[in-house]
Amino acid sequence: MKPFAVWARSFAVALALILPSTGTSVAQQGETQQQRAQSQPGNNAPVWRDVRSGKEEYTSIKGRETGVLVQTYGETWRQLKNGWITPIAGWLIAVVVVVIGAFFKWRGSIKVHGEPTGRLIERFTPFERYTHWVVAISFVVLGISGLVMMLGKYVLLPVIGYTLFAWLAQLSKHLHNFVGPVFVVSLLMFIVMFVKDNLPRLYDIKWFANLGGMISGEHVPSGRFNAGEKAWFWIGVVVLSLLLSASGLVLLFPNFDQVRAVMIEANVVHMVAGGAVIAISLGHIYLGTIGLDGAYEAMRNGYVDETWAREHHEYWYDDVKSGKIKAGTAMGQPDAPQAQH
Amino acid sequence: MARMKFLCDAERCIECNGCVTACKNENEVPWGVNRRRVVTINDGMVGAEKSISVACMHCSDAPCMAVCPVDCFYRTDEGVVLHDKDLCIGCGYCFYACPFGAPQFPQAGAFGLRGKMDKCTFCAGGPEKDLSKEEFSKYGSNRLAQGKLPACAEMCSTKALLGGDGDVIADIYRQRVLKRGKGSEVWGWGTAYGKPDQKAAPAGSKS
Repeated sequence: MKPFAVWARSFAVALALILPSTGTSVAQQGETQQQRAQSQPGNNAPVWRDVRSGKEEYTSIKGRETGVLVQTYGETWRQLKNGWITPIAGWLIAVVVVVIGAFFKWRGSIKVHGEPTGRLIERFTPFERYTHWVVAISFVVLGISGLVMMLGKYVLLPVIGYTLFAWLAQLSKHLHNFVGPVFVVSLLMFIVMFVKDNLPRLYDIKWFANLGGMISGEHVPSGRFNAGEKAWFWIGVVVLSLLLSASGLVLLFPNFDQVRAVMIEANVVHMVAGGAVIAISLGHIYLGTIGLDGAYEAMRNGYVDETWAREHHEYWYDDVKSGKIKAGTAMGQPDAPQAQH
Repeated sequence: MARMKFLCDAERCIECNGCVTACKNENEVPWGVNRRRVVTINDGMVGAEKSISVACMHCSDAPCMAVCPVDCFYRTDEGVVLHDKDLCIGCGYCFYACPFGAPQFPQAGAFGLRGKMDKCTFCAGGPEKDLSKEEFSKYGSNRLAQGKLPACAEMCSTKALLGGDGDVIADIYRQRVLKRGKGSEVWGWGTAYGKPDQKAAPAGSKS
């Protein structure tokens, strides 16, 4: 027997010993039926109440919940999934894509105002960058494969047909299941690595007050990470991604004899958190690529120009300059890999 | 055209598991998968014990069909819910959604490796050519194509399990109810086929 099953069973036995009433209630319901058969022959109402309760009865067929005649969680899950979660997540992501597209058309790629100095500051160490990209690439693979399984039936299937879509969905499922653990491990490393610089500071309130000048173009000083990045870190990376990891692991290992209700709950958490984190991540991906000039190079090569640092993360720049924060320096252009100095 | 249904009479079922055995034998069901099972309530209590044989009920508004991410389920003209194993990706959603626990998987492996879903076909095979070798190896027997009814119900020693045209088996059961002089207890029909006043989804439609 598997260790988890042993543990689960001994836990159930312990629970039954602590709560003797749960052991007797089955017999009590049987007795109710025995009395009913005497007083009102042919009245099986107590039996049907037992069946309807969804609890395990006796069966000689071994397997997960084979003793349950009928369960009602499934229908609730179906209503939630098909009626609420899938359409809301789908439309939310579509709306976010349109809003970002409109914002890009209006604002374009945000550039620094001053001239680049040619003096570079190391913003991310190689280890930080590798961890970020492992998280990022696995996130994108999980996001796309997840969307294929969640929305593909409505969006792709009518276009590419049953055979091709089933092949794509099968590929997505395997990618999702084998890339998932990579994401979980790298995510934990990422959180440990970046939590210190993402702790909220008082000046973050000011950033939120005018959204970092994204709309007004006004200059708002911030630390190594601005308040928007911190919000993404705490909401997207910590809360939603950890929820996704935990619920994902429940779904990933059906070999531990989890009952359907547990897997259904995990699936609801997984779909809601997944839809939300994908929608928010589009904002981060936008600013990290085409939205903000210099941001991609910082994570790609690790270095930013001093002008970029001063205009986007002034407090961090000041700390680096005064020597409070130790950061590597280099000369040249930030869009090429730098040698360490 | 007939609308195929299952009906299990709890007053007659004696938990012999003949239906389970008949099904396994007829369809050469993979090891570890049971398309049909018998559940006993108040096992061993005199006067209170009731047994019911349950498998896929071929619902009118099938939850498995509604949640399948690759839309691999379809309904035949006779209301039988079947699925295409070539499309199935083994995600387990149908197993979550089904009220009766009908969908089964040959494995429950780590990393979600379940294999292709297998369930009762009402002895009606699958999407392959009727009575072909491919159909038998994937889905089992196609007795409906041979003009026969499901092996489980045909084999039932007490005729507790009835399978066939819903109107015909409901009539048989009505006779029994009249003879016994007690209420009708067609277990699972409300869940599978809707309440009598609800309009059931038309047979053959894909929802």
